Amino acid sequence: MKRYLELVWAILAILTVFAYLLGYLKIISTFFVAVLLGTTFIKGQLVIDYFMGLKDVRLRYRIIPTLWLSIIITLIGVAYYLPIAPSQ
Amino acid sequence: MAKSTTLKEKYPPGDFAIWIIIYVELVTFGLLFLGYAFSRRADVAMFNESQLMLNQTSGFINTLILVTSSYFVIKAVKSITSMSEENGAEANAKASKWLLLAIGCGVAFGFVKGAEFYHIFGQGINLSTNKFFMFYIMLTAFHFMHVMLGSFVLFIIYKKTKTVGYTFGDYRGIETGASYWHMVDLLWIVLFPLVYIIR
Repeated sequence: MKRYLELVWAILAILTVFAYLLGYLKIISTFFVAVLLGTTFIKGQLVIDYFMGLKDVRLRYRIIPTLWLSIIITLIGVAYYLPIAPSQ
Repeated sequence: MAKSTTLKEKYPPGDFAIWIIIYVELVTFGLLFLGYAFSRRADVAMFNESQLMLNQTSGFINTLILVTSSYFVIKAVKSITSMSEENGAEANAKASKWLLLAIGCGVAFGFVKGAEFYHIFGQGINLSTNKFFMFYIMLTAFHFMHVMLGSFVLFIIYKKTKTVGYTFGDYRGIETGASYWHMVDLLWIVLFPLVYIIR
């Protein structure tokens, strides 16, 4: 697969257009927030693997940004979905 | 001997020190992202209302600009790292063209962001307006500074390619600068949906 960098760029661009349309068309909902967070993870991991070039390095170095991305996106999801206690 | 693509490299590309900086930057921005996400819970209505004042289109354009610039930068890196002992000048010339495109993207990002800030600050909004705008200004201005620094780093690398400064087996400098640039892209990839889209 010679043109894999072009493919990575195309996926990043398509997922960015998708995120923008969710906001622009005002169809963002609790369901779509989960989808958006999932696509954000995919985009981030593509950058980590193919642009930063960590796909071909030892796991101990690749895992740090991947863990960072996973933790941040999970906690953003927790902050969004966790029920908010009613104010007194 | 051709290098096998199945073998894992020992270390990440570039100078190891840049990776320490990258990890520290990721943690710093990560805390700010979480600060935003959890502060939003205290007043969701205010955050949603304030977010409507942002221009999602400029955030979208800047995302496209950054992912495209990252593509240009990796193409420049590949031009250099795949050079042979015979085609050094050609590889440097090729890389300089990709880098120029990437620097152009950095400048374009600056213009879009500048227009966005002009619009926001023109409405009298500042760090004290509310918690949403405090995070918005802090995150985007801090990130903007990284884009400017990254563009400057790319320009230094570009100058070096113009003098055929990268030779066969000596390309750590371009990999170091590129790694920093991709980090700037990675941060924006999380920042854009978090601040501009999720509501």
